[in-house]
Amino acid sequence: MTAAGTPKLSVQRLSQRFGATLALSDVNLDIAPGEFVCIVGASGCGKSTLFNAVSGLLPVSTGRVLLDGVDMAGKPGAVGYMLQKDLLLPWRSVLGNITLGAALTRGATAADRRTAADLATRYGLGEYLRHFPRALSGGMRQRVALMRTIAAGRELMLLDEPFGALDSQTRIGMQQWLLQVWRELGRTVLFVTHDVDEAIFLADRVVVMLPKPGRIGWIVPVALARPRDLACLTSAEFVAIKRDILGMLYGATAPARAAAAAPSPAAAPPV
Amino acid sequence: MRSDGVLAGLLRQLALWVVALGLILGAWQLLVSASDIPAYVIPTPASAFAEVHAHWDLMRELTAQTLTETFYGYVAGALTGFLLAVLMAQLPIVSRLLYPALITSQAVPIVAIAAPLVIIFGFGLTPKLIIVAWIVFFPVVVNVLDGLASVDQDQLNLARLLGGTRLRTFLIVRLPACIGPLFSGLKIGASYAVSGAVIGEWTASSRVGLGTFLLSANAQMNTAGVYGAMLLLTGIGIGSFLLVLVAEHLATPWRTHAVVPAWFAGRAEGGGGAEGGGD
Repeated sequence: MTAAGTPKLSVQRLSQRFGATLALSDVNLDIAPGEFVCIVGASGCGKSTLFNAVSGLLPVSTGRVLLDGVDMAGKPGAVGYMLQKDLLLPWRSVLGNITLGAALTRGATAADRRTAADLATRYGLGEYLRHFPRALSGGMRQRVALMRTIAAGRELMLLDEPFGALDSQTRIGMQQWLLQVWRELGRTVLFVTHDVDEAIFLADRVVVMLPKPGRIGWIVPVALARPRDLACLTSAEFVAIKRDILGMLYGATAPARAAAAAPSPAAAPPV
Repeated sequence: MRSDGVLAGLLRQLALWVVALGLILGAWQLLVSASDIPAYVIPTPASAFAEVHAHWDLMRELTAQTLTETFYGYVAGALTGFLLAVLMAQLPIVSRLLYPALITSQAVPIVAIAAPLVIIFGFGLTPKLIIVAWIVFFPVVVNVLDGLASVDQDQLNLARLLGGTRLRTFLIVRLPACIGPLFSGLKIGASYAVSGAVIGEWTASSRVGLGTFLLSANAQMNTAGVYGAMLLLTGIGIGSFLLVLVAEHLATPWRTHAVVPAWFAGRAEGGGGAEGGGD
């Protein structure tokens, strides 16, 4: 239904004020359908504000948030959403949590449950369908949370540091698992993280945000071949991108390979 | 399909109660029989039980009367408290207006409320029910309100982002979140309820219950009778508490089970249509 070339998400001249503070200043970002974009930045750079504005939870001060070309600012319910906290309801089974979207809107049907069960089984949760979340490890709980997000059927998914609370071994497994889910289901992902390695490993493009006021500093394309495996984490290309991004975050050096974000609405380089 | 481990855990908890109560009674028996306190000052628990046994027909009737007052008053108080809390959580204006009134209601000495209630409602069951409910509803209201207010804001944001309707979000996300606090309130209420029934009987009563019997036994220097009634009243209190404890266990299987038990499956997976009520 999307016209060719229409971005899945288009953030245009978005600024956000809280009282006297400018939390976001003139943010422009286009994300193509099926693209995986990561946002990195120090705390206070407006990542969460951008996230909340795109999700529709936060009324936008100025600018536009277009989803498939339609202005969605201030209207929650059009995008998928997942946080570091899994937010699973302890009194619902894994299956009940995955079908939460349907349960909250119109009541989950047998068909919803079947679809959810198939999905969960396909991605390694089959034996836990009837478990309460309490019985699951942190990594498993985040898998359930992602399945809940996917089952809600939104094509754009916002993930805010979903693996931030997991230990590093679990996290690498989760990243590979997420890439598999993303590749197979073809959703569009906007992923916020502190972790530069995680951002490069996952993303087609890494958006580097800067604080005071929160703004996009650079957008770094990641041309690493997919599917990516652990070996790519130590490849020369990966390390070079990481050096660039660390320089942007901590040294504020001019990027060698990144396209600097221009202030026009057409800031994002073509994918 | 309750797992055996959970049932065993519950039984172990109940067994602990029996042991603890046995120890208290044993210490009492030992203390009184070892000292030279006369039986008309403090009787041994054995003689108090013997008194209950000797007048069992009367005691059974008295217990039934007090139990009736306690039970209906408790249910009325718990329901009122729960519904009031839900209403207050939905309408903040009602909440702000009612909160001072709630505190005031508990600041008034319960004995002072009893007399006017008798004047208004007479000597029947009604004033006793109101007194019991008066005592029970407060911990329920306060705990359920706290529970409803403490629902994670991110959780509610998630429900909004999933497109949840107001009613379904309430039934699926907010209401189950207050089950824990609800039972905290119900447990406090359960241990206080019987006191309410006794106060009600002391004020005025056309039918004799354990409370009225306790007063008259006291006046007749029937110490064993006083203690017998006291034991029965305590039994009602403990019994109510344990019943609520078991109900809590059944209502919150996710605290004790890893896998959803079959009898809870509808609620653990459902669309939030049919949720159970207060207690």
